[in-house]
Amino acid sequence: MAEERYREYLAERVLAEGQPITYRLLSRALQVHVNIAKQMLYDFHAEQTKKQPKSVHATYLLTGKERSSEHSNGDIGHDGDDTAMRSSPFMSSLPEPENTPESPVRTTSIVLVREEELEKTKIEFEDITSIHIYSLQPGPIENMNLLAVCNQEIASNHASGDPLERWRDYGSIQNRYIKRRTTRYAPAMAKPATKATAKPTAAVSAAKEGSKQAPTVTLRRGSTSEESKSGRSTPQPGPTASLKRSDSETKTKKDASVGNLFKSFAKAKPKAKEAEKPKEEDGLIIATEAMEGMSEDEGDADDEPAVKFDEEKAAAARKAREEREQKLQEMMEADVEMPDAPTEGTGSQDAPIDKETSSQPAESEATVTVQGGRRRGKRRVLKKKKVKDEDGYLVTKEEAVWESFSEDEPEPKKAKLTPKPTAAKGKKTGGKGQGSIASFFKKA
Amino acid sequence: MASSDGILLKGAPFEDAAAVSSRNASAYRPLHTFELPKGSEKHYAHQFADMYFVRLAQLKEAVKQKAHEAWDAFELAGDKAKYVERVLDVRQGELCWVVGTVYMEMAMKPNVLDDISKEVHKTLLRLSVHAQLTATQHWIAAPPPRQTYVSPSGTDDMMLEDESGRLRVAGNSLNSHYVTGCILAALGTEQADGSFQVIATQYADLPRQPQRWETEDASLTLAKDPMSKREKAGKLAIVSGLDLTGKEEDNVALDLLVEYLSGEAGGPDQTSASSITRLVIAGNSLSNASPILSREEFDVRKGAKRNYGYDSSSYNATPAEKFDAFLSEILPALPVSVLPGEQDPANVALPQQPLHPALFPLSRAYQDPPALSSETLEGLDLVTNPWEADVEGWRILGTAGQTLDDLLKYVEGVRPLDAMEMMLRWRCIAPTAPDTLWCYPFQDDDPLILKECPHIYFAGNREKFQAKFVQGPAGQQTLIVGVPKFSKTGQVVLVDMETLEVETVKLAYVKPRP
Repeated sequence: MAEERYREYLAERVLAEGQPITYRLLSRALQVHVNIAKQMLYDFHAEQTKKQPKSVHATYLLTGKERSSEHSNGDIGHDGDDTAMRSSPFMSSLPEPENTPESPVRTTSIVLVREEELEKTKIEFEDITSIHIYSLQPGPIENMNLLAVCNQEIASNHASGDPLERWRDYGSIQNRYIKRRTTRYAPAMAKPATKATAKPTAAVSAAKEGSKQAPTVTLRRGSTSEESKSGRSTPQPGPTASLKRSDSETKTKKDASVGNLFKSFAKAKPKAKEAEKPKEEDGLIIATEAMEGMSEDEGDADDEPAVKFDEEKAAAARKAREEREQKLQEMMEADVEMPDAPTEGTGSQDAPIDKETSSQPAESEATVTVQGGRRRGKRRVLKKKKVKDEDGYLVTKEEAVWESFSEDEPEPKKAKLTPKPTAAKGKKTGGKGQGSIASFFKKA
Repeated sequence: MASSDGILLKGAPFEDAAAVSSRNASAYRPLHTFELPKGSEKHYAHQFADMYFVRLAQLKEAVKQKAHEAWDAFELAGDKAKYVERVLDVRQGELCWVVGTVYMEMAMKPNVLDDISKEVHKTLLRLSVHAQLTATQHWIAAPPPRQTYVSPSGTDDMMLEDESGRLRVAGNSLNSHYVTGCILAALGTEQADGSFQVIATQYADLPRQPQRWETEDASLTLAKDPMSKREKAGKLAIVSGLDLTGKEEDNVALDLLVEYLSGEAGGPDQTSASSITRLVIAGNSLSNASPILSREEFDVRKGAKRNYGYDSSSYNATPAEKFDAFLSEILPALPVSVLPGEQDPANVALPQQPLHPALFPLSRAYQDPPALSSETLEGLDLVTNPWEADVEGWRILGTAGQTLDDLLKYVEGVRPLDAMEMMLRWRCIAPTAPDTLWCYPFQDDDPLILKECPHIYFAGNREKFQAKFVQGPAGQQTLIVGVPKFSKTGQVVLVDMETLEVETVKLAYVKPRP
C-alpha cells in the first residue's frame, strides 16, 4: 500500500514542491521501515534519472573505514611537539611499565556526501560496509545543513504517538527498559510564545477556506493534545470558574495547549485594561466579533477557526480558557520563588501599550522552506518590541529595549495524519506569523 | 568490496526490513560523590584554606608511605635521608625529606587582587566614579582567558607548604611537572640561600581499585541472592562538546548522531549501534550558556548600557530547546547521562551540579520524578561534573575537562593524557582548585580527592581523541580517555564494557564544492 503511494508522494514533494526529503522523513510520512524508505528513494531516483537525467539529486550516506590519513585522529602518542610528562627525572621511581604499546583505534566513519562527490569520497574509503541514499532534492544542494529541515519536520509533524513504540514502525532500535512518565505542563511550557505568534490571522483565513476545513482541524487538534497533554487534565476550578458551567473535555485539552504564559500575565493585570480592548480588537477580528457578540477580553484572534461554525463550542472554549487563566494566575501569584518574573513580564508588556513604543513583528523565514507557500516551512518569527523598563535597584530610569524572541515554529501538533492533506496545511501557513504580537497585546 | 546486506541501493521490490534489534539494560549505579548539600546547607563563607588542610591531612600518610619505601635506604655521601615533620623544621645542609602542598607562584596566573585594583584604577581615571563602580559590582567577569600561566621569562617559583609555613623549592625542570595543589614528598637539602634543592620527589600514586562488580556483588551477598549470571555488557558511548548554538550549522551532524544512535542510519551499523547501552554527554552541550560572562562580553555589556538585574531580552532559548529535542529523540531507546560543562547553564564552581530539569521540558519525561529520586537508572540522568558511577560494574570517573584545561596552563609541553594520568597519581582530580579553578569551599571532606581508583577516567572537550591505559603499583589498571569535541571532530567514543577496548565513530559530511 505504501509501495504505491511513495511515487506519488515523492513526486509531489520533490518535483512539484521542490522540497528535500530524507529517508527518515519518508519513513515517517508513509509509516514504513527506514530501510524500505531508503530503497524507495533509490527506486525513485533511478526512475527519474532514467526519464530525465539530473532531474533529481541525491545525497548518500557512506559507512565504513576511511583510509589511514584520517586515522591519525585515533592514533595516540605520535605528536612530536609534546614531551611526555613521565619522562621527567622525578618520576623515574615509578614502578610502571613504560609506554604500553598502543594498538590503533578502530574508527568507523559515517559520511554524508552529494552524488557529485560520491565517487571521489568512495575512493577515500578502505572498506565500505554500507551505502544508501540519504536524501533526494530537486537540485544539487549547496549547504548540507538544509537537510536538517526534514528532521525538524519530523519533530513538528510526526511527533505523535508513543515514542517508545516508534521502533515497531520505523525499525529503530528498541529498548524495553526505558520508561516514560507523563509530565505535567511540559508541552505547554515548551511553546508558550509560539502559540501567540502562530495564531495571528488563522481565524480570518479560516473563514475564507470554507466550512469543510475548520471542523476537521479542530477535531484533530483536540485529540492530539489529548494524547500529549493528558497530564494537564485535572483542573481545579478557580473562584470565577465555579460560576461557569463545565465544558467539553476536548476543549479543555485544546486550551491546555493554548495555555500560555502571556495570557496569564495579561490576566494578572488590573481589569481596567479591558475597557480599551474591544475597541482595538475590532480591526483585526471583525468576523469573530460579529459572530459572537459580546466577546470578552480574550482576543479571539486566538480562537480556533471552529468558532465560526459552532458558537456553543466557542463559548465553552472561552470559558475553559478563562478557568485556565484563572488557574494560571493563581499559580503565578502563588509562585513566591521568583517574584521577579511576573513583574518583569507585566512590565514589559505594559510598556508597548501605555507608551507609544512600537512593536513590530518581523517575520524572517529560515531559508529553504518557504517555496510554494503550501508546505509550512520552519519559520522564525522575530518579534521586536520596544519596552520601557524600570528597575528597582538603584536608578529609577526608564529605557527602551528591543526585545526579540526567535523561535522555531512548532506546528500545532496535528500529526495524527500524514501530511497528505496539504490543503489543511496551506491554510495554516497563510495564517501564520503576521499580526501575532498585535493580537497578543490586545489581549493584554 | 562490501557485504551486500549493507548496500541499500536497490529499488522495488523492496526487501523485508531486517528484524529490529533491541538494546540490553545498562547496569548503572551512579555515585553521588560530587553532589553538594541542598539549599541552605550550602555554605560559601568557609575559607578555602581548609581545603588545602584537608587535602594534606588526607594524603600525607599515603605520600609518606611511598617516600619511606623509596628513600629509607637512601644515602648520599654517607648521609642518611631522614623525614622532617614540618617544612619549617628543615635544617640547612641536612639531607632530609618533607611532605607538603605545592604552590606555584606565577606571574601570569590570574590574581583577583590585581584585577580589582586595575579595575578601580581604570574607573577612577574615567572619573565617572559612581556609575562605573556600581556597574562593575553587578556582574562577575571570568578571569582573563590565558593559554598558559607560565611566564616567558622563567621567573616562576615553586613552593612547598604545610600548616607551618612555606619552603621555596629549587630543582631543575621541577616547575614543569607539578602544579599548585598537589601533595608531594621532596627529598633534598636546604641551600645557603634558604631554598630547598630537590633531588627526588614522590607522590601518593593510584589508590586502591575496586574489583569489577565489587559493590554489586557485595550487596547481592548481603541480600543472599544467588549470583545470577550477568548479561554480556554492551558499549558505553561518550560524546562531548556538542556546542549547540541554535543556528543552522550544527544541524546535520547532530541529525546524523541521532540517526546513528537510534539505529536508523546505515546498514549493518544498525545492529552495531544497538550494542551501545548508555550515552554519556561530557559537558559543553550548549555553546554559550554559562552564567559567567567572558571579559569581552563583560566589557560590551558595561559599555552598552546600564541595566540592573536579569535582562530577559538577551536570553536566547533556541540552543536549549534544540538540546532538549535532541535528547528526546534518542532517549526512547538509549539511557543518557548528562554532565554539565564550562559553557552549560549550571553553577560554575566545581563540582558543577546537575543541569536543572526545567531546561528539558520534552526529555524530562524520561527522568524519574526529581522529588522521588535523584537518579534515573534507565532514562535521562542529569549528573554532576565531575561525575562518578559504576557502569557495568566498572568504576567510571569523568569530567567535562575544565580541571584538565586549567592544569595544562601550569605546565608546558605536557600531553593531556599524561596530565590526566598525573591527576590520578596525585589522587587529586582538581589540584588547581581552588587556586585558579572556581570551587565550592569544602570544609571537612573534599570529594575531589581520589579515594578509589576508577577503571575508566575520561575528560571531555579535548582537541582530539586520545586513549591509553595506565598501571598502578598494586596492579590497578585504568583506561584514560580524552573525549574530543563533537562540534569540531564529529567523533563519538565507544568503550566496550567487556574488554575496555576503545573505538570511535566519526560522523561527518563532505562539504559541497560549487
